[in-house]
Amino acid sequence: MSGSNRLAGLTARPKDTGPAEVRKIDDVGEARGFVDRTPRKKPGRKPSPRTYQLHPKVFPGVGEAISAEAERLGITQGQLIELMWSQYQEPLEG
Amino acid sequence: MPVIVMASPKGGVGKSTCAVLLASEFARMGADVTALDCDPNKSLTRWASHGLPKGVTLHSDVGRSEIVTTIKNADGDGKIVIVDLEGVASQLVSRAISQADLVIVPMQPTALDAEIGSEALALVREEEEALGRTIRHAVVLTKTSAAVKSRVQKELENQLRGAGIDIIEPSLVARAAFSELFAYGGDLTSMLNNSEIVTGGKVDKAILNATAFTEAVYERLK
Repeated sequence: MSGSNRLAGLTARPKDTGPAEVRKIDDVGEARGFVDRTPRKKPGRKPSPRTYQLHPKVFPGVGEAISAEAERLGITQGQLIELMWSQYQEPLEG
Repeated sequence: MPVIVMASPKGGVGKSTCAVLLASEFARMGADVTALDCDPNKSLTRWASHGLPKGVTLHSDVGRSEIVTTIKNADGDGKIVIVDLEGVASQLVSRAISQADLVIVPMQPTALDAEIGSEALALVREEEEALGRTIRHAVVLTKTSAAVKSRVQKELENQLRGAGIDIIEPSLVARAAFSELFAYGGDLTSMLNNSEIVTGGKVDKAILNATAFTEAVYERLK
């Protein structure tokens, strides 16, 4: 067995790869027990990387304002505190 | 160029060994080989981690949703695509078969392997009907004895031939060098030429077997 000349004669036949053909093949396979065995992802929300918890007590008006602002921005109160922290640090770093 | 798919819903029959031997032998012949590792056991990926032979590219973790497009993208002029499948009855297997030019069903010469392997053969025939095209398929007997052909093997060959099933000759003999490829990577020739590699088997005999097997597969691709 030698050389690529022999291999050059090998050709692939065109195949159907459209969604309709794939569905047809899935049906044929499923009828014979060749079913979808893709591992299912773990259900539910992924655990948050934010694991540190603060317990600050603030005046009611400040607490309500922080809560309302977080809701308005569509973020959690923790994310809002992170934003405030980074803005608080900016002049210190500059 | 052709797409060769190794299929059997049974594990441990020699699908990955066939894939590695064909990938390395066709690469040695000068082909640009793309191997797709669709087996969660990642046998081909383990083989590749020790070094791929020149001319072989490997794609790992190819799943059900991307198998058809991955084969389509890998196929092209001067390329041979070799697909190593998982040893279960899954949609990934049926989808890969639909894209094949040749389906090889490895089988040890045992009644259990034959029974489970025949499911893959039946699926190929049903897909042929559904798609309206011929999908060439053949059985290769694996892990056979180098010394004698067992009575069970002879009976199995007769049954398969009687059912009109193509059997690739030669069979793949149980050789230590075949399984050690997964520990050393590369191909059998590099194993033979590397004095640091200690094998428990006859690498020269393994090369002859692998070459003759690849030649027989090549004949089916023409």
